[in-house]
Amino acid sequence: MKSFRGPATSRTEGAGFFKGAGGFGSPVPFLIPALLIVFAVLIFPILFAFFVSLFEWPLSAGAGPRTFIGLGNYVTLSRDPGFWNSLWLQLGFIFIAIPIEMVLGFLAALLLNREFRGGNLVRALLLLPVFFLPVVSGMTWRFMLQPRYGALNNLLVALGAPPTTWLAQARTAYAAVIAQDVWRMWPFVFMLMYAGLAGIPDELIEAAEIDGASYRQRVFSVIIPVLYPTILTTLLLRIIDALRIFSEVYVMTEGGPGMSTTLFSLYTHRIAFGHMRMGLSSAMAIFLLILSILFAVTLVRKNLSLDELEQRGGGR
Amino acid sequence: MILTLSSRRKLITVAIGFFAGLILLIELYPIGITLLNGFRRDIVILSGQGFSFDQITGRSYEMVFANRQYMAGLWNSVVVGLLSTALSVSFGAMAAYGISRFRFAGRNVLAYSFLVFRMLPQMSLVVALYMMFRAIGLRDTIWGITLAHTSFNAPYVIWLLIPFFITVDRAFEEAAMIDGCSRWKTFLLVFVPLARPGLVVAAVFSFINSWNEFLYALILTGVRAKTAPVAVSGMIGGEVLTWGQMCAASSIMLAPVFIFTLWMQKYLIRGISVGGVKG
Repeated sequence: MKSFRGPATSRTEGAGFFKGAGGFGSPVPFLIPALLIVFAVLIFPILFAFFVSLFEWPLSAGAGPRTFIGLGNYVTLSRDPGFWNSLWLQLGFIFIAIPIEMVLGFLAALLLNREFRGGNLVRALLLLPVFFLPVVSGMTWRFMLQPRYGALNNLLVALGAPPTTWLAQARTAYAAVIAQDVWRMWPFVFMLMYAGLAGIPDELIEAAEIDGASYRQRVFSVIIPVLYPTILTTLLLRIIDALRIFSEVYVMTEGGPGMSTTLFSLYTHRIAFGHMRMGLSSAMAIFLLILSILFAVTLVRKNLSLDELEQRGGGR
Repeated sequence: MILTLSSRRKLITVAIGFFAGLILLIELYPIGITLLNGFRRDIVILSGQGFSFDQITGRSYEMVFANRQYMAGLWNSVVVGLLSTALSVSFGAMAAYGISRFRFAGRNVLAYSFLVFRMLPQMSLVVALYMMFRAIGLRDTIWGITLAHTSFNAPYVIWLLIPFFITVDRAFEEAAMIDGCSRWKTFLLVFVPLARPGLVVAAVFSFINSWNEFLYALILTGVRAKTAPVAVSGMIGGEVLTWGQMCAASSIMLAPVFIFTLWMQKYLIRGISVGGVKG
């Protein structure tokens, strides 16, 4: 039931510019503090980063003059093997870790989406890895992968394999970074999928069952299509999150050995605070920013609608 | 669901129980060893020997509590968390109120921009923030890092609160305004008390966001304003021989997060749907 004070009526009442829903007061004073914060610590830094990216800008004054080079930093990046390396590592990370997380999370949600003893406890405990501090997670994984006393090697040695220096070799270090992320984040996918599944009406699945659909058909022809918006939201959230991964990897490997786990943020960090080249690192920051905005805007436009929220909540 | 045979049903239940147990074992093992190693001596951990109850000791905790750097970090984390939460929740609640109670040109664009801002990678902003803060003397100050944390918390709070606010009935506010209350008085005296559950959730989540945050703290703070995650990561340095202390220090960091997580369970989905988990 929609009340008379629902959004549909207020829209016509207060259609004017900056006019209140009840024609009373103005939203501007309510918005100003948040807008000031956003300007000071988001918009201005973005503009400033773009400005800096047009310069050869060494951090310390003694390291050389500050010179305007236009888009020179962007050209430098396009020829920098370190940049491409970090981009490939980042894309590889997204294309390997996220599909695994999505599949694991979805399958677990399917399996655990029923009543069983201790079900609530299992679901609650599964939340803990998601909220495990990233820094602590990186440290714990670094510990588990230690060649001499780490748990994984203890297990392998007990099984008769030689101890491996996981984080000292390029390939295994990269795999470990991915494993860490999968371990921590598939339960995140699970949470969202589980909530999505719980929202599917039982009758829908029962109807399919009565029509003789096999379990596989029910999953592929009923559950996945109905769950599609949730799947898409989750995927986009994971991509946006994966684009900014830093602390876990920084603590686990510091981007090494060599450049083998220098994901995008780690390389930006290295250029800025290792090589002290603020202009070049700002160019990377702008690149990352544009990439993230593309995904974020897609997510926001596809999945979050103010009007829809109001349709659901406004009538109450 | 229609079930054919009760024996088949039992089998499925057993299989699922087994499967759930296995998942939990894998997912909780790293957390478990972190909590456990906080209570073991470094020498025991480094020797790689198995666990037995006589290894348990509070030694690492004693050393962590005596570690000034870490304790200062912990204190800074609490202060920054509280300040940034206070700023984000008050400004965020006002903005969310403005968005959910008024209709104005550009309202949708504004609301969506807040959400997009929330999702920007910290790395894309931190270089500029570092240079700005250095220029105006905010680097390595509590206020600097608080402001940086507010940059992701305020947009987050706005989007966490909008759905809460929409469900609060306008009738009370309208009655108050008819009785002659100004918008501000109505907001503070009528609306805020009604919206308190949402505000609590928003406060808890922004505190956790700030508590867990690492990158801004790493770059924007130094000796004075260093927060606990940076202090913990500083313990690694080279070949670590103090795992016990690191695990104890980490466990102290984890405690509030886990408590809040379990307490806020029913709001978690909403909490993570508006911008993932902050690293």
